[in-house]
Amino acid sequence: MVEFDHKSRSPRAFDLLRVPLLGKLLTKRHARTLLQIPVFVVSAVMVLHGLFGPALAPQNLATTLTWVHFRGALVFVLLFAGNFFCLACPFMLVRNLARKFFHPVRNWPRRWRNKWLSIGLLITMLFVYEWLDLWASPWWTAWLIIAYFATALLVDAVFKHAPFCKFVCPIGQFNFVASTLSPLEVSVRDLNVCTSCTTKDCIRGVREPAAPLVVIQRGCELALFQPRKVGNIDCTFCLDCVQACPHDNVGIISRLPATELINDVMRSGVGFFSKRKDVAALVTVFSFGALLNALGMVSPVYALEQWLASLFGVNHELPVLAVIFTLILVCEPLLLIGGAAWLTRVWGGEQRRLLWVVVRYSYSLVPLGFAIWLAHFGFHFLTGLFTFIPVTQSAVAALGWPILGQPHWGFPGLAPNLVQVFEFGSITLGLLGSLLVSYSISAIEEVDHPFRVFTVWAAASLLIAASAFWLLSQPMEMRGIVLGGG
Amino acid sequence: MDLSFAHEVSPQPPRVGQVTITIRATGVSKKPVTGARVTLEANMSHPGMTPVFADAMEAEPGSYTSTMTLSMAGDWYIVAHVTLPDSRKVDHQFEIKGVQS
Repeated sequence: MVEFDHKSRSPRAFDLLRVPLLGKLLTKRHARTLLQIPVFVVSAVMVLHGLFGPALAPQNLATTLTWVHFRGALVFVLLFAGNFFCLACPFMLVRNLARKFFHPVRNWPRRWRNKWLSIGLLITMLFVYEWLDLWASPWWTAWLIIAYFATALLVDAVFKHAPFCKFVCPIGQFNFVASTLSPLEVSVRDLNVCTSCTTKDCIRGVREPAAPLVVIQRGCELALFQPRKVGNIDCTFCLDCVQACPHDNVGIISRLPATELINDVMRSGVGFFSKRKDVAALVTVFSFGALLNALGMVSPVYALEQWLASLFGVNHELPVLAVIFTLILVCEPLLLIGGAAWLTRVWGGEQRRLLWVVVRYSYSLVPLGFAIWLAHFGFHFLTGLFTFIPVTQSAVAALGWPILGQPHWGFPGLAPNLVQVFEFGSITLGLLGSLLVSYSISAIEEVDHPFRVFTVWAAASLLIAASAFWLLSQPMEMRGIVLGGG
Repeated sequence: MDLSFAHEVSPQPPRVGQVTITIRATGVSKKPVTGARVTLEANMSHPGMTPVFADAMEAEPGSYTSTMTLSMAGDWYIVAHVTLPDSRKVDHQFEIKGVQS
């Protein structure tokens, strides 16, 4: 018998799987497939419209649904519920279908069992987004979706388990980090039940009794052992563990958002946050990437691009963007996080290595980083909320089948000045969240001067928040290529 | 269809707010195309933005003028939907790059 005592669950916690009808639906064996099929159909329509529909982004479903609705809905669902977009991921539908024919036997290489590859891909995606103006190109957006399907299929056709989700998918990594702030997590209901469990089906899967090598229900493919799982990092909400548990002891349960960023406990499939330099790098890219992505939408970035181009004597966007990315994703974190970590040691009396301090406290920036993503994506989502209606009307009418009527552009969404209030509110709440996390970490880790250390990290958060407020107060400017495209 | 279009935008450089757009339509032997119905549609490069629509009036023979309100800085894509007197329809698309705030 094994004891699991690292977490306790309030008996009054809300459990989504106990909600009448919805809970029953989600626990059905093919619930995930049922959710994936409509998303897959929409993805296919987006690809077709992207490749063969209008070239103008506001009139195309590929660009409208991807860059306005998908991103916006994603951050709101993560904020108010959990990682349900990974649950309904259409890439996994195709991959599951392919696995009826392919039976991979190889394990994902040990040296790649970390987040470095996916961090590289996330940065690449952010870079390509700016460089090729993906938001303005239905054609490139369609190819991005196709590339996602192809990569998921290829990776999971060659390697066992779910390496695409855990080690490759940039959207998945974004969701994992953002879902640390979600109010729901997939978790055991009663740890005592796990203590007496002998089969561990939640991780091993359910085997055919007569043929033990035949798995009839997968366990967690992301190596998260439910009794030792902490929080949402690496959890795709696939609900395989819910299906596999013979004791009906796994739920989608409420918790206090962001607590998993504070406590440095051993996590199944992840280890200690304070020892995961790759996860710390991921949250850093997540947080500063939010500023970078928002910067691409305001007027000063074009002046900055022109200035850098003249400084280096180039007229191509590629090197100029590379400099901007280096400044914001490398230099700024080095200065802010590195500087705060250094002060934590010299002024706060922290004795541990500088890198340990950097890693441990970098998680405190997640609430603020998420808030900036929320403000940015939320702006496009709320101001363009109903634009999918006329775009769909146009798409159907273009097929010579105008059953939805003529495009009606009357009410695109909320007024931008109203949404700006939401944006400022988001950043304020994100700042408060980051302050709470850094305060809690310093209270746990610092014996001598916890308040000094908190002050240092609070200052770092305040500087980032000030940058975000400045960005949001700039006039928006939506432009394509300013310099040459090379 | 032997048609050609030219366009003119003022003020230059274009700024957020009202701009005047003139479309000149010519046919065979540079002869102005008169009596056409011209509507303008302006889209931004980012999805989720509402297009701006306006009718253009024939100010001179073959010259159709309209004022539009461009609500945001950035690149705008203008489509002139032209319905010729014989009911044929032609679109002419062009960009207004770098509208300043």
